[in-house]
Amino acid sequence: MRHGQIGDAAFQSLTFAATLALAVLFVALIVALVLGAAPAFRTFGLGFLIDQSWNPVTEKFGALAAVYGTLVASLIAMLIAVPLGLGIAFFLSELCPAALRSPIGIAIELLAGIPSIIYGIWGLFVLAPFLQAKVQPLLIALFADVPGLSLLFAGPPYGIGLLTAGIILAIMVLPFVASVSRDVFAAVPPLLKEAAYGVGATTWEVARNVLLPYARTGVMGAILLALGRALGETMAVTFVIGNAHRVSASLLAPGTTISATIANEFTEAVGDLYTSALIALSLILFVITFAMLAAARYLLLRLERRSAK
Amino acid sequence: MNLYRARRLRNAIASALAVGATAVGLCWLGMVLGILIWNGLGGLSLRLFVENTPPPGASGGLLNAIVGSTLLVLGAVALGTPLGMLAGTWMAEYGRYARLTPIMRFVNDILLSAPSIVVGLFVYEILVAPVGHFSGYAGVAALTLIVIPVVVRTTEDTLSLVPNELREAAASLGAPRDVLIRRLTYRAARAGLTTGVLLAVARVSGETAPLLFTALNNQFFSLNISGPLASLPAVIFKFALSPYKDWQALAWAGALLITGFVLTISIAARIWPRQRKPT
Amino acid sequence: MIDMALAIPERRRQLAQAVSEKISIRGVRFYYGDKLAVRDLSMPFYDRQVTAIIGPSGCGKSTLLRVLNRIYDLYPSQRAEGEVLLDGVNVLAPAQDVIALRARVGMVFQKPMPFPLSIHENVAFGLRLHRRMPRSEIDDRVEAALRRAALWNEVRDKLSASGLSLSGGQQQRLCIARTVAIEPEVILLDEPCSALDPISTAKIEELISDLALDHAIALVTHNMQQAARVSDYTAFMYLGELIEFDRTEKIFTAPRDPRTRNYVTGRFG
Repeated sequence: MRHGQIGDAAFQSLTFAATLALAVLFVALIVALVLGAAPAFRTFGLGFLIDQSWNPVTEKFGALAAVYGTLVASLIAMLIAVPLGLGIAFFLSELCPAALRSPIGIAIELLAGIPSIIYGIWGLFVLAPFLQAKVQPLLIALFADVPGLSLLFAGPPYGIGLLTAGIILAIMVLPFVASVSRDVFAAVPPLLKEAAYGVGATTWEVARNVLLPYARTGVMGAILLALGRALGETMAVTFVIGNAHRVSASLLAPGTTISATIANEFTEAVGDLYTSALIALSLILFVITFAMLAAARYLLLRLERRSAK
Repeated sequence: MNLYRARRLRNAIASALAVGATAVGLCWLGMVLGILIWNGLGGLSLRLFVENTPPPGASGGLLNAIVGSTLLVLGAVALGTPLGMLAGTWMAEYGRYARLTPIMRFVNDILLSAPSIVVGLFVYEILVAPVGHFSGYAGVAALTLIVIPVVVRTTEDTLSLVPNELREAAASLGAPRDVLIRRLTYRAARAGLTTGVLLAVARVSGETAPLLFTALNNQFFSLNISGPLASLPAVIFKFALSPYKDWQALAWAGALLITGFVLTISIAARIWPRQRKPT
Repeated sequence: MIDMALAIPERRRQLAQAVSEKISIRGVRFYYGDKLAVRDLSMPFYDRQVTAIIGPSGCGKSTLLRVLNRIYDLYPSQRAEGEVLLDGVNVLAPAQDVIALRARVGMVFQKPMPFPLSIHENVAFGLRLHRRMPRSEIDDRVEAALRRAALWNEVRDKLSASGLSLSGGQQQRLCIARTVAIEPEVILLDEPCSALDPISTAKIEELISDLALDHAIALVTHNMQQAARVSDYTAFMYLGELIEFDRTEKIFTAPRDPRTRNYVTGRFG
């Protein structure tokens, strides 16, 4: 019987080696990013993070415009996608006739399957011109006299810009919010729902008072997952963001995100400092998505622990 | 308005909003796919599969891009799937109760949600910069790094679903762990494991960002993976942003091809496992 | 009623030689993590006899069974102390080759769990594990095992069909065939009929009596009538301890301990 144990030990070692390789890969990624970003941080210090300048000629770089654009575009995306996604999940789990549930569910999930570059070209050739011609002038006129909001929606209507990027991202992350929320709603014990319906609650009241509290953890996880996706998205955003290294108050102005900057400039980057600045940007992005994921995990852990009591 | 009527009203509004949200979502899908088909269909022809990408201002096909993409995706799946499956197997079987496993699960999740452009940069730093030129190897490497976490995740999830009773039944006959895993657990998890691979294929087929600094692009037909390699996403990127009508038409046609492929695989991944349930 | 049921094991005992102790459990303690589930248990299992282990839920009877083939080794937080002697050799010793142990001590589980393989391959699985065999020998032994499990006539024409295509009772008999194919000396049965209908249960009880002709059988059951019908010896367990062990007819007609009496008369459990 000893030979059986040799085979087992060999397979165990092989699979463990693969797991270690995964860990090594992770460490290598971080090390490579840190090493690549080091020259930039050494030159600019932590001020790099709040500096808006981006001048390849004088070799003065700052991450602020890119970070600002990344965060704002993603925020816009979440503000649109989360209510819509929850609405879709509510519809699919409570209101939708059974026969339509599967096709509509699959249709929504198809949105997630479409490659991001498709969204990019769609955004550039379809959404941006539409926004420029119809929507943005409206927004500018609407808020022209409102203090505060007039800054947010100031012209000129380029069509491309932060708002457009935010809308595209919203379409891309919508299926993540909708599908995961729907799965979480479906996991609510039918007994709980039946009890609520049994005392005469309306569908909406059941959703608000039974589904949402029970599924809170899962929904938050879905939102964080979608946010992580939005933050890192490259191709969809690159086409419509406008590639301007500026922090503008207006959402209608062109801007840039970290991934769009890298995508547009990396192959043309001349000089070690330029390249290092771009790698520093990617390190910042990586840290942001890492923080997101860690927060999501921590949240899940705490909520699970609380519900286990 | 009494309480009852108010509640009914709130319910009606909420339901209407939910239906509206679904309608918006479906409309978006319709608009994106609709434009894609509208613009891309016109460019579809046999020429796409026979001719290479043309110089600016001329018309042509997408052969080199299609071939390049095929090589890159096949390479990534061939390398990434075994590695991912082995790691996922350790985490679900040998390492199930080990302290390392939750850590590795977290690490894998980070790699899974890492922006693909960051992955591209990483591969650039280790496989392109030192060598001095772009290559298909680097492109395959970048895509492999995207395949691995997907496969690890689906493997671990699927294997964990296999009931412990099956393992106990095999163990009580005297089966060593590796025989149990290879001959039974994998077999029981077959459907889920295949789905994982299909999902990975769908995911990397559409990826552009990681290829931008690794495989770059190639105007000409090339099977040489130690040099830059054309790929559909890279071609679409270049052609769509150009001012040439022919190039733009090719970009849309290419976009339609990729989307059709990816969506077909995604749908197949969901339907296929259900067909193969044991009678 | 009880006398009729006892007639069969009685006859069997008359046919058998002197009753020898196949397995001796000595001072076994079992832990799930820090929780002690079985305390200082000692009892014998006799060769060619059916020993039933009865007791209310949670008393540790399944836990005890799982010590005998060291199936708990699969779970790091579970451990056993004490000695389990199989033909005089302690199988709980760290040096014990667990795979060799399981080739001699087979187990049938509560939930029928056929492998996702054909019926033939289900039975052949165990055969292929331990030594190389020519195809013809495998086929012969598969047939012999299926006959022994009283399943051959029902499946002889569909050996390549999936094991999962059988009914519940048939699946369990397949699992029994799978276990007897490797010719173990001891067969452990953990509530083998609790997921089955009465007819399948009756078939399997007949099977158990037949298998007891040349194996030592340990049967965990929550069905007292089944224990009375099928077994020669009965062990009553409660809260992790062995309360009473004796010949089955003694346990059911004149138990010594009041707890045993309360249980077999249905006062609790």
